[in-house]
Amino acid sequence: MEMEEVVRIVEEEGVVHKNPIVIAGLPDVGLVGTIAASYIVDKMGYKEIGYVESDLFPPVMVIHEGKLKCPFGIYGNGSVIVLLSEVVVPPNAIYPLTRALTAWIKEIGAKLVIPITGLPVENRVDISKPEVFAVGNSEAAVKELREKQMELLEEGFIAGTYAIMLRECRKRDLNAISLLAQCFPVYPDPGAAASAIESLEMFLKLGIDVGELLEKGEEIKLKARDLMRQINLSAPEMQKGVEQDMPIMYR
Amino acid sequence: MEIERRMLKATWGYDGNLEPLYEVEDKEDEILVTFDLPRVRKENVEINTTEDTVEVIAKMSDAVCWERWGGIQKKITFQAFRKQIRLPEKIEPEKAAASFKNGILRITLPKIRRKVFIPIE
Repeated sequence: MEMEEVVRIVEEEGVVHKNPIVIAGLPDVGLVGTIAASYIVDKMGYKEIGYVESDLFPPVMVIHEGKLKCPFGIYGNGSVIVLLSEVVVPPNAIYPLTRALTAWIKEIGAKLVIPITGLPVENRVDISKPEVFAVGNSEAAVKELREKQMELLEEGFIAGTYAIMLRECRKRDLNAISLLAQCFPVYPDPGAAASAIESLEMFLKLGIDVGELLEKGEEIKLKARDLMRQINLSAPEMQKGVEQDMPIMYR
Repeated sequence: MEIERRMLKATWGYDGNLEPLYEVEDKEDEILVTFDLPRVRKENVEINTTEDTVEVIAKMSDAVCWERWGGIQKKITFQAFRKQIRLPEKIEPEKAAASFKNGILRITLPKIRRKVFIPIE
């Protein structure tokens, strides 16, 4: 089977891309990416311009306002694209998904890819404003991060969809910067998502006020329980535990 | 088997209770259980422990009403979180301690341990 057949990216007709910045908010630790991406889509009023489907995804569709939708949507306005999934990406779909996504991102002429995710910390409950760390996938990306005085993740392992996304982007000569906000290891974290959105402003001036996200944090946590539970169940298979390990080549 | 069962079970009940997200961690001499309890105030949390279980009942400050969702549960209201967890080892209920901060309930449950000193010959 051809790779393109395993994961299909379906775009609405007539979408014109203007060297967009692509934000990826896939379900992962703390649901930071999903919460942030969904808030961005809502606040910016981005329309759904496509979706991603795959025979490797669970046989699930979602219904919103009576309309049947694929749970993995693509939103945007031409200069910004947001990838947003409401279901967990199964581990066996990560490689074909990231390959297909990055091939498409390259094809539409994107200038930067920003996967948003969480960095689990044990003492999160004592942190009032989570810090955001960044990982760049190329010398140019790291240089940009240093220029913007972003806190770099200097040593360690990263695991999950965003890790492979960074690698696949590099293979296609696409600059990618992942933003990792300190978050609860097993609970949804709107506060971390708010910090990630604020850091995103360094790369993309969207002018989003995160006040409402923080105000409605408890409501978001309630709605996010089921997706968070699915993430927690899939975490061992995703090798998320390795993110707490010390690399042998540590310097 | 446990994972399969949990995946099939809904996290809400018709009795108006939601199952909270929780984590059980083995910390050598104690078991640490945390619960995520949004919309809950400290004074509305009730914790009951036995030697091998811990139960949390936490009333929300405002009930949650979800409408236009699903078929049978077209409109449903939840007032509280409720969960009983079977612990992996026996604990000393009288020595349990709890704290609540930013919606996270943290319960420390010391294990029943009879320490015996073994001299090296």
